[in-house]
Amino acid sequence: MNNGPKPSRLSYLTSGIVKENPTLILMIGLCPTLATTVTARDGLGMALAASFVLVCSNVVVSAIRKIVPDSVRIPIFIIIISTFVTIIDYVMQAYQPDLYRVLGVFVPLIVVNCIILGRAEAFAYHHGIIDSFLDGLGKSIGFALVLFIMGTLREFFGSGTFFGKAVLPAAYRAQPMLFAIFPPGAFFLIGLLKALVNKTALGKRSQ
Amino acid sequence: MNSAKIFLAAFLVNNIILMRFIGLCPFFGVSTAVSTSIGMSAAVLFVMLLASWVSYVLYHALLLPLGLVFLRTAVFILVIAALVQFVEMFLKKYVKNLYSAMGIYLPLITTNCAILAVTFFNINYKFNLLQATLFALGTAAGFALAIILFAAIRERLEDAPISPAFKGYPIAFIGAALVSLAFMGFTALFGIS
Amino acid sequence: MKESKLWLVLSLFITCLLSAFALSQIYNMTLPQIEYQRNVAGLKAAFGAVMPDADRFEPATPDSSVWFAYSGEKRVGSIIKTAQQGYGGLVPVTAGIDLEGKIIAIKVASASEGLKETPGLGLKATEPDFRNQFAGKNVFQLRLKKDGGTIDAITGATITSRAVTDGLREAVEKYYDLLVPTPGVENE
Repeated sequence: MNNGPKPSRLSYLTSGIVKENPTLILMIGLCPTLATTVTARDGLGMALAASFVLVCSNVVVSAIRKIVPDSVRIPIFIIIISTFVTIIDYVMQAYQPDLYRVLGVFVPLIVVNCIILGRAEAFAYHHGIIDSFLDGLGKSIGFALVLFIMGTLREFFGSGTFFGKAVLPAAYRAQPMLFAIFPPGAFFLIGLLKALVNKTALGKRSQ
Repeated sequence: MNSAKIFLAAFLVNNIILMRFIGLCPFFGVSTAVSTSIGMSAAVLFVMLLASWVSYVLYHALLLPLGLVFLRTAVFILVIAALVQFVEMFLKKYVKNLYSAMGIYLPLITTNCAILAVTFFNINYKFNLLQATLFALGTAAGFALAIILFAAIRERLEDAPISPAFKGYPIAFIGAALVSLAFMGFTALFGIS
Repeated sequence: MKESKLWLVLSLFITCLLSAFALSQIYNMTLPQIEYQRNVAGLKAAFGAVMPDADRFEPATPDSSVWFAYSGEKRVGSIIKTAQQGYGGLVPVTAGIDLEGKIIAIKVASASEGLKETPGLGLKATEPDFRNQFAGKNVFQLRLKKDGGTIDAITGATITSRAVTDGLREAVEKYYDLLVPTPGVENE
C-alpha cells in the first residue's frame, strides 16, 4: 500500500487493465482463462459474463458495506455473488444457448472466480460505490483483454480462424496446430504470455 | 456407466486439473513443495466427498421436489463454505495435530473451483449417490496425482538455471503443459473418452 | 449495533430472502425463452442433417408431416416426414426438399430409433451408400430402377428399398403444392 496521495478516480479504472491485471499480474482467475479460450468468441463471452457479475457485485457490496456485520460478511458476499451468477446463467441460457453450451460448467463456476470474491473483500467493502464500480470495470477490462488475446491466438493457430471466419489459407486449416486447442497448448501459451509480461518493467515489480 | 469407468475417467482421462482446467489456483499456489501438496490433496479429498454427499442430498430431496432448481448455485457454494468452516472448527478442537498440518489450506478450499465443479457434474451427469461418490473419489485422486507430480517437478526446477523472465509462473505453466500433454495420452484409455 | 447478534442473523436472513426472490423472478422471466431454445435445438437435431442451411422450422401441416424450413426470414425449403410399410414394420424417412421439389438429403430412422428391417439387408437403408442416391432427385425420378426410375435398390432388400423410395415419392406428390411455392403467391 503506498502512502502517497490518494489515487485518482481514473486510476481505479486503469490499474485493472495493465498494472494490476488480474490474470497476468495478480495471477487470479486462471481457470476460465485457460478453459474457455479455444476461440476468441468464447473467451470474450466468458469475460462478459464474469464482468457482469464482478461489476454488479462490487456495486452492491459497496452499497451495503456500512450495514453488513463484519463477522458474516463473507457468506453475504457469497450470496450476493451467486445471485448475479445465477442471473447471468439463466439469461445466457435463454438468449445465447450456443455460448452457454460451450462454456458449460464455467458459467456457474464464476461464483468461485477468485477475482470477484477477492475484489469484494479487498476493495468494494472499503470504498464508495463509484470507486467500486470503476475498480470492477477496470479489472473486467483487464480480464477480458487477456481472454481475448488467448482466445484469438489459440483460435488463430489451432483452427486458422478468427471469430469463426477463416483467416489462414485452407491448406493450413486442413492440418492446423491442434496443440493450441488442447489443454497443453493453453498452459504453454499462458506461460509464454506471463514470461513476456515478466520481461517488462511491470512484471519485474510484481515478482 | 460402470463404476470403474467413472473412477478412471475422473482420475486420468478427464483429469480435473490437467484436462478440465478446474482447480488451477490451488494447483499453482500450493504445488511449490510435495509436502504441502499432500496436505492440500487430503483436505480436498475430505471436503469433496462431504460436499458431494450433502449437495446431492439437498438437491434431490429439497431443491428438485420444491421446484427451486435455480437456487442450485447459491446453495451449493454455501454448503461448501459452511462445510469448510465446520471442518476447520472440528479439527481445531478435536484433532489438533491434523488441524495444524492442514489448517492453512482449509479456507482456501472454499474457492477451489474443483469442489463446486464436482457438485455440478454429479447433477449434470445424472449420477446416483454411489456413482457420485466414485466420481468425487476419482476427481480427488486425479487432483492429488496432478498436484503431487507437479510439486515434485517444481522442487527440481528450484535449482535449475532458468532465464529470469521465465522464473516462477511461466516455467511452471510450461511444465504443466508438458504434464498435461502426457495425460492426453490417457484419452480413449479403456474405451472412455 | 452493526455487530449485534440479532442483526447478524437478520442480515443473513434478509440477504437470502432478497436473493431467492430476485432469482425466482429471473427464473420465471427466462423460462419461456429457454423452453423455446430447447425446442429449436431439438428440431435442429432432428432436421439439421437433411437441411443444413436452415436454422428454424415451422410445422406446415396439422400432423407435422411437412415442415417449412427457414434461414432467418427466408424460406429455404421444406422437410417431409413419412413412413411406409417395409419388411418388418414402418420405415420412417425424413427428407429435406428444396423449393423446386428436389431432394436435398434423406435420413432413415436407425435400428435404435425403431427401424425393424433385416440387419445386413433392409437395415442398410440407413447407410450413406443408399441414402446419397436421393440427393438432387426430383419426384419423377423417385422410383427403383426396376420400377422404371433411377434408384438402385439394396441387393436382397427390395421391399425395404421400395418402402423408402415409394413412401418418399408419394409424400412429395401429395404435398407438392406445399413444397413448391407457386411464384407470386406467398406461402405463409
